[in-house]
Amino acid sequence: MTLTLPTPRDEAWRWSDLSGLPALADQTPTGHAPDPSAYWIGTDGPRLLFVDGIPVPQPTGTTGLTLGPVATSSDHLLGRLTTGHDGWTLTLDAGHAAPQIEIVHIATGGANHLPARIVLGEDAQASIVETFVGDGWANRLTDIRLDRSARLMRHVRLMQTSGFTALRETATLAQGASLIAAILAIGDAGTRIDGALTLDGDQAYAEYGGALLARGEQRHDAAIAVRHAALNGTSRQLWRAVADDRAVASLAARVEVARGAQKTDGEQSLRGLLLRRTATINLKPELEIFADDVKCAHGATVGELDAQALWYLASRGVPPQAARALLTRAFVGDAFDRIGVEAVRDAFRANADAWLGAEA
Amino acid sequence: MLAIQNLHAEVDGKPILKGLSLELGAGEIHAIMGPNGAGKSTLAYVLGGRPGYEVTGGSVTFRGKDLLDMAPHERAAAGLFLGFQYPVEIPGISNVQFLRTALNAQKKERGEAELSGGAFLKIAREQADGLGLDMDMMKRPVNVGFSGGEKKRNEMVQMGIIDPAFAVLDETDSGLDIDALRIVGDGINRIMRKPDKTVLLITHYQRLLDYVRPDFVHVLADGRIVRSGGADLALELEREGYAGIAA
Repeated sequence: MTLTLPTPRDEAWRWSDLSGLPALADQTPTGHAPDPSAYWIGTDGPRLLFVDGIPVPQPTGTTGLTLGPVATSSDHLLGRLTTGHDGWTLTLDAGHAAPQIEIVHIATGGANHLPARIVLGEDAQASIVETFVGDGWANRLTDIRLDRSARLMRHVRLMQTSGFTALRETATLAQGASLIAAILAIGDAGTRIDGALTLDGDQAYAEYGGALLARGEQRHDAAIAVRHAALNGTSRQLWRAVADDRAVASLAARVEVARGAQKTDGEQSLRGLLLRRTATINLKPELEIFADDVKCAHGATVGELDAQALWYLASRGVPPQAARALLTRAFVGDAFDRIGVEAVRDAFRANADAWLGAEA
Repeated sequence: MLAIQNLHAEVDGKPILKGLSLELGAGEIHAIMGPNGAGKSTLAYVLGGRPGYEVTGGSVTFRGKDLLDMAPHERAAAGLFLGFQYPVEIPGISNVQFLRTALNAQKKERGEAELSGGAFLKIAREQADGLGLDMDMMKRPVNVGFSGGEKKRNEMVQMGIIDPAFAVLDETDSGLDIDALRIVGDGINRIMRKPDKTVLLITHYQRLLDYVRPDFVHVLADGRIVRSGGADLALELEREGYAGIAA
């Protein structure tokens, strides 16, 4: 199959660098996966391990979690590549709650494509944390359907050491449903996070945000669109981007308020921190509003570390590198505050600290 | 403790300190007074090593070492504390985290064992109590939302926790009401009036000196010490102003 990829000429992909993908697609994975034990956060729930997109049998015992063909379809330029591949599905009937689920994806080179689907019935609730490690191109399509008052917490760590991780996420939220998602891009691989959320029912609630930490020649790129299609919806997009060396971190976040979606409360907070002037941060907040009784706040700022604060820390005995790490940690901290699972929040913070070279 | 000899310094190419010399011994409290623009804060910043304050001549010896040769964080570890006239707000970092990081960084630099979280909190609580700051405030981000007086008391809590050999306090009395002035004054005496410690108080007014009685008072004008004396000199300045002395 010929690989047709988006190019920077497509507006939605203008900051992406997908140039390495054809070569990765031609490679064969080595299959030598490292011991996954370091990548489990250690919650008590069921675990799923995929190596190069292939499930490695684990005793799960969770009702509703199945492996095999997934009922998704997508015309998204990367997401559609998962068509025909097996993946995983979580289906919870009304009122059911799943224990914390952990999924680790190890790539050993080459390309792997995996679709997933999360379908929560009325009042059902689930919490899923996914971790991506290894090398190669991991390409994911995840489709989320939340029925009335269903609640999903979704946390993703992108930690590959090389290659590329691409996430295409779509979500539809019915009346009173809530999705709280935080994504941490912290590896040395390039990433693309592409989200499309639709608040389709009265009083739906979506939080979708995270932190992108980029260094070297790395590129992180997130493009998120939240569509308010019903009354009284609330959405929060809080993203923090940090770029060092010659890295590029880009965030495009859009809020669309459809005609009739009155009383929408949408908020975007996009903030970038340049650790070096050779790095680049692109922020693009967008609002598209077709209703007249809405509240949409957006803020986008890029800056450097506060020289006064660095001086204050130095005067108290904190060496420059540790002071920079402490201030950078404080900068990205907002992005993790809302993670409701303590073990996950601690793990994300620890990963960020390790990236910053800070001692907790 | 500290010997400053013929110190020259400039900011943005403009000479501010023009041959300042001063000796401060252990167990002594010195006050530096002087009109606006005399170079008082510049002296504090130069001693602390603030970026942008360039030393163009002279020397500063601190406990037998060349102070000017050390980076700001090394000066702190060597025992120098700078109390800020305008303490900096740092959102996202709690006072406790800030101070524990600072104290342990100093200990590490000196090759000492770092403090555990519990041991640190015990010291922090004692010092916060001593300055009348609630421990809940210590858990809030550094100086964020603090009143002017609370910021200055927080500086003294920090000094108590860090327990330096030498403190330069830059207008610690500004922005304080009478009650806070007494609390801060008591704090300075309690923490620093010891045979092995030295304080350099930089102030505009005599009123802090009612609470912290200096052993020596110096007048700084146009980048030099123009007169030195005992505690009485501060009273004389309060009465007669700087005009006659600085001229």
